[in-house]
Amino acid sequence: MKRNIILTALFVAVATLSNAQTGRDIAQRVKDRPDGDTRYAEMQLTLVKKNGDKRERKMVSWAMDEGKDTKKIMFFTYPGDVKGTGFLTWDYDETGKDDDKWLYLPAMKKTRRISGASSKTDYFMGTDFTYDDMGSRNVDEDTHTLLREEMRDDHQCWVVESVPVDTREIYSRKVSWIRQDCDAAVYVEFYDKLNKLHRVMTVLDLQQVEGFWTIMKMEMKNVQNGHSTQIVVSNPRYDIEVDKNMFTVTKLEKGL
Amino acid sequence: MSTALKSFLFGVAAVLCTAATVSAQDGMDVSVKGFVDTYHAMRIEAPNDWMASRSRVRGEFRLEKDGGGAFVSANLIYNALLSDQSGFQLREAYLYWGNSDWDIRAGNQIITWGVADGLRVTDLISPMDYTEFLAQDYDDIRVPVGALRARYIHNAWSLEAVLVPVPEFYKIPVDPANPWSMGPLPPEVRPDKTIGNMEYGGRFSCFLGGVDFSLMALRTWSKIPEIVDDHLGYHRITALGGDVSVPFGQLVFRGELADYIDDHGNHQGCALAGLDWYPGADWTLSAQFNQTYESGVQASLATLRISKALFNNALTLSTFAYADVKDLGLFNRLSIDWAATDQIHALVGFDYFHAEDGMFKAYADNSEIWLKLKYNF
Repeated sequence: MKRNIILTALFVAVATLSNAQTGRDIAQRVKDRPDGDTRYAEMQLTLVKKNGDKRERKMVSWAMDEGKDTKKIMFFTYPGDVKGTGFLTWDYDETGKDDDKWLYLPAMKKTRRISGASSKTDYFMGTDFTYDDMGSRNVDEDTHTLLREEMRDDHQCWVVESVPVDTREIYSRKVSWIRQDCDAAVYVEFYDKLNKLHRVMTVLDLQQVEGFWTIMKMEMKNVQNGHSTQIVVSNPRYDIEVDKNMFTVTKLEKGL
Repeated sequence: MSTALKSFLFGVAAVLCTAATVSAQDGMDVSVKGFVDTYHAMRIEAPNDWMASRSRVRGEFRLEKDGGGAFVSANLIYNALLSDQSGFQLREAYLYWGNSDWDIRAGNQIITWGVADGLRVTDLISPMDYTEFLAQDYDDIRVPVGALRARYIHNAWSLEAVLVPVPEFYKIPVDPANPWSMGPLPPEVRPDKTIGNMEYGGRFSCFLGGVDFSLMALRTWSKIPEIVDDHLGYHRITALGGDVSVPFGQLVFRGELADYIDDHGNHQGCALAGLDWYPGADWTLSAQFNQTYESGVQASLATLRISKALFNNALTLSTFAYADVKDLGLFNRLSIDWAATDQIHALVGFDYFHAEDGMFKAYADNSEIWLKLKYNF
């Protein structure tokens, strides 16, 4: 009997080891979560001041994967003063390679190339999301450590700490709660350079759309100044037919 | 407002209402946007007179179906200082048609080439409206041209051809009631409206990972009037040039180069180098240096733009300076833009002029403070 118990314990230990995942493995799973080769979505961004005053932005976006890289184009549709403003991004997975980014301002009728490096740490159009939060990072841009596993909102989650390799990043570390059933980060704490909690991202609605797990609603709150931004996604579509010319400066200038 | 103008506006409104009604039935996309703004500027030196006082409605209408459409942009302006600037002003009105590989646009349109900011090296087709010199929004300064433009797009590159049957020229104010007047000037004599005087050219543009560049050739006119005998005139030039943008880290380098050749074979060289810095935290800094060279005579202009957004972009501070390097002249526009709501912006600013000679000398006493309220719809 004692021998059987030892054998069972050994079997469990070996099985656990074979399934053991590092923080990096989990981060890679999140990045590799299926999202189709092409995507479309409409987004409403609500900026909320500490006193409750709200401002809104609306935009539409298309994206297409090219290998590990992603090309994305988005246009603002509201409010009137930014309507028609467009961003084109060629997002490279390669570590250390800056993204290519262009900004089209309809009032100037001109496209400007903007820095792909700086926009990783700048906030997106006054929201609490950085450009980087809106895109995807190469897994090796951070060092990931699996801290523990725990339940969050009735879902088993991995808790992973990620420390950026580049010290110029806007955060010193972030801690993510990643749902094990769908490989999606549903709650993320961002800490500033003084290691104080700075921003908190919470996924408020996660659904399967056309078989792909899709964040339909999320909020980023700056806990230091009380400002927050909520993003509501509508009409998401995957594996749609998109022409390659969609992700060009010429299309950016043509507008919607 | 004249009866004809009222009829025209009524006609436009009727067409748009009809289009909006029809759109629901046949899938036509209708888009309407615009703004109402009021702008008032006062000279800071005696006699502290009004430099500008105007209000306007800008409407931009787009109708589109199956890759083709029409776009109209127009102003309805009340100008308290310059009566001839009041009334209906059609800016852009063009038809377009195309798909993801090509497009054609015909009608009144603003065409912008190059990568310079507020300076012109290869951006020669749409001239400038100097009715209030540079003390107005940049999109108000550009003059639309009646043109046919065709583009072929192939992934990373595009080819553009432009034909302007009747070229447009700089608008230079001569009205004595206008504080920005450069008059009195001799009468202007424009080129005859003939096929031989058309403006035409092309541009090849390439957008690659890590670099953008374009090459252009344009048979055009010197669009800034020059005194020829007893009148203001223009002369033919052929412009050959190109531009480039290269990002590296937090910086983006921009450059433009052009050679303007007149029909006697005389050359004028023009070069621009610019550097944009995006250090983060919603700061943007941009500097440019522009040099022209003709027969041993050089002219240099430099610009500096600094902007900083605060409170989640609700408040933007910016300054844009033009410096005449040779004659030590300066024009600096400092502004504060507060987004009171999604629709309403309140702006205040200070335009500073300093010059002892050169292009800013005429405006050396025109330093002004200004206020602008804008409602976007």
